[in-house]
Amino acid sequence: MKQLTEITTPFSEVAANSTLPGAQLDWLQSLRQQARGQFERQGLPAKKVEDWKYTSLWQLSQESFTHDAKPSSVTKAQSANVALIEQAHRLVIVDGQFSAELSQLDNLETGLTLSPLSTSLDKAENLLNAHIDVEKPGLNALNTFLMQEGAYLHVAADSKIEKPVEILVINSGETDNLATHLRHLVQLEKNSEITLIEHYVSLQDNVGFTNVVTEVALADKAKLHHFKLQHESLKHYHIATLASKQAANSEWNTNNISLGGKLARNDIHSQLLGEESHVTLDGLYLLDGDQHVDNHTRIDHAVPHTTSEEVYKGVMDGESHAVFNGKVIVHKDAQKTDANQSNRNLLLSRTCEIDTKPEMEIYADDVKCGHGSTVGQLDETQLFFLRARGLDEVSARSLLTYAFAVEVLQRIKAEPVRQALSNVIEHRLPRGA
Amino acid sequence: MLEIKNLHASVDGKEILRGINMTVNPGEVHAIMGPNGAGKSTLSNVLAGRDGYEVTQGEVIYKGQNLLELEPEERAQRGVFLAFQYPVEIPGVSNIYLLKAALNAVRKYQGLEEVDAIDFLTLVRDRMKLVKMDEQFLHRNVNEGFSGGEKKRNEILQMAVLEPALAILDETDSGLDIDALKTVAEGVNALRAEDRSIVMITHYQRLLDHIVPDFVHVLSEGKIVKSGDKELAKELEKSGYSWIHDAPEGQTA
Ligand SMILES: Nc1ncnc2c1ncn2[C@@H]1O[C@H](COP(=O)(O)OP(=O)(O)O)[C@@H](O)[C@H]1O
Ligand SMILES: [Mg+2]
Repeated sequence: MKQLTEITTPFSEVAANSTLPGAQLDWLQSLRQQARGQFERQGLPAKKVEDWKYTSLWQLSQESFTHDAKPSSVTKAQSANVALIEQAHRLVIVDGQFSAELSQLDNLETGLTLSPLSTSLDKAENLLNAHIDVEKPGLNALNTFLMQEGAYLHVAADSKIEKPVEILVINSGETDNLATHLRHLVQLEKNSEITLIEHYVSLQDNVGFTNVVTEVALADKAKLHHFKLQHESLKHYHIATLASKQAANSEWNTNNISLGGKLARNDIHSQLLGEESHVTLDGLYLLDGDQHVDNHTRIDHAVPHTTSEEVYKGVMDGESHAVFNGKVIVHKDAQKTDANQSNRNLLLSRTCEIDTKPEMEIYADDVKCGHGSTVGQLDETQLFFLRARGLDEVSARSLLTYAFAVEVLQRIKAEPVRQALSNVIEHRLPRGA
Repeated sequence: MLEIKNLHASVDGKEILRGINMTVNPGEVHAIMGPNGAGKSTLSNVLAGRDGYEVTQGEVIYKGQNLLELEPEERAQRGVFLAFQYPVEIPGVSNIYLLKAALNAVRKYQGLEEVDAIDFLTLVRDRMKLVKMDEQFLHRNVNEGFSGGEKKRNEILQMAVLEPALAILDETDSGLDIDALKTVAEGVNALRAEDRSIVMITHYQRLLDHIVPDFVHVLSEGKIVKSGDKELAKELEKSGYSWIHDAPEGQTA
């Protein structure tokens, strides 16, 4: 096993042995090699980099990781048990490997392509790295160099896909200290619509590392309802980039929920490039113990008449640490932008910590923009009201805590998904005594 | 049912209630009237057990027990209900969930099992008719986005479901138009019962046209300065509250 700072070495061997997919594709080989050089030059982001000020990857760099997963013995029952939605088109990745056996890819609805990235790379050239900045401090370069698997999702023009798609990423825990590098590509053609769930789970409580990049391309009038649920082990590292580009009249509703992980970092970048496009960028983090979650979001309003709404909420206990940095940039020509952003935090202990920074950079003059953040405890009046209705103090506090968190889900229109996510949250924050 | 004896209470060291005496028997409806700032809400909050009020003298006996030593939830479970002057919004908690949790809390204290889902719905639907509330309100968050009148009706709905022994209604009439006022009053009237006492706090006498009290008390500067029957309210309507400073102190019902 090697430390992360040294991992390029074993992987250059891996690459030479062509275990990484797409060895036959010249364009991909050169992309990987460029990225490798980039990662070797830049290394892990240091704390002196502004965007990484509150999140140190030092501990991650001290762990020893392997990239060789033992064949896993995850059963269908185990996989079904952790899946969020039963009735879904499901692509399952276990320990970085696509599992045909655990996936549900039969009877895909017309217009839907859902396949493992490893066998879809020939279709990926125009999508890969089209949405992210590989130069940016972070792990995008490492991901580009080492991406081993992921989901390729394509929805044809005018197709409305009924059932949600769930990308289920399982860390079986059968290989200690396993690092995986995943890349999901999501492309919606004109006037298509789908619900997508990215779901990350661990079956055991051991150290692991998920490095994932999701790229999203929405054509005119496309609608993507997107959920990310990160529920990995409390010893897990999760570093993710999620980036989208939207054409005119398109809609991206995304909800990013962090429950697990020792350290989780999400860099989310929404680019509104077509008029009348809209993004809802919501998120929730529920932290306890020594968990650390850092959400960096950025929305670019690049053209006139685009709208964004962003609500991030956090409930923190123990000695957990959350970071929220939300940037909204309204570019010079982006008149009539309507942008709203807020970050609200509920602190349940004296020892937890939040660094919150909502930011707006506005270069247009005819816009409607608002942002704010709050950090606080439960509301005394609400607490008294519930107690005056007979709920004991512990139940009243639990109910209000649950309510604070679950409010983030209330905008979700897809009922089965909202219900499933509410259940997950209730499991974590029981609302009754 | 309720006996308040020489009750003194302060907020932030400032004395607000300055010796309240009052006896409420089962089945009685008492109105407490008084100008803004008289201490009406302070009295209701002290009775319901809200934090931040310090009782410096006196006692409150409820069903033979010292009410003031109980936690707010213990009072509620024993049948004390406060309809809030400013109903509280709770985003993320649906009305139906609240009603069920509250009812089960009371039932648990009474040694009963949790309410059966179907019985509960039947009960709630029935009580919603009482306050003319549409069923969609069950699935909305508690008071969130409700109009002033809807919020007040929602308080009465909670009362109707919980069937308290002692209901304290703090300005349940304020901010209501005449139709809403009638609805609320009809709801409350339907809940009048031999074993239930109601303390109605109001600033205006018009509520008393619709819910006729057995006794009326005038509260001013933390004391009950006059008590009488419903005629007292009519007098007040004519002369306003200006005379109360001249009235002899300490009269009680
Ligand atoms: N929490 C509080 N902090 C400070 N003063 C208070 C508080 N609650 C009430 N008061 C004061 O006590 C007095 C009585 O208030 P309140 O009981 O609300 O009157 P009413 O309900 O009769 O209008 C007022 O002077 C009010 O300012
Ligand atoms: Mg008042």
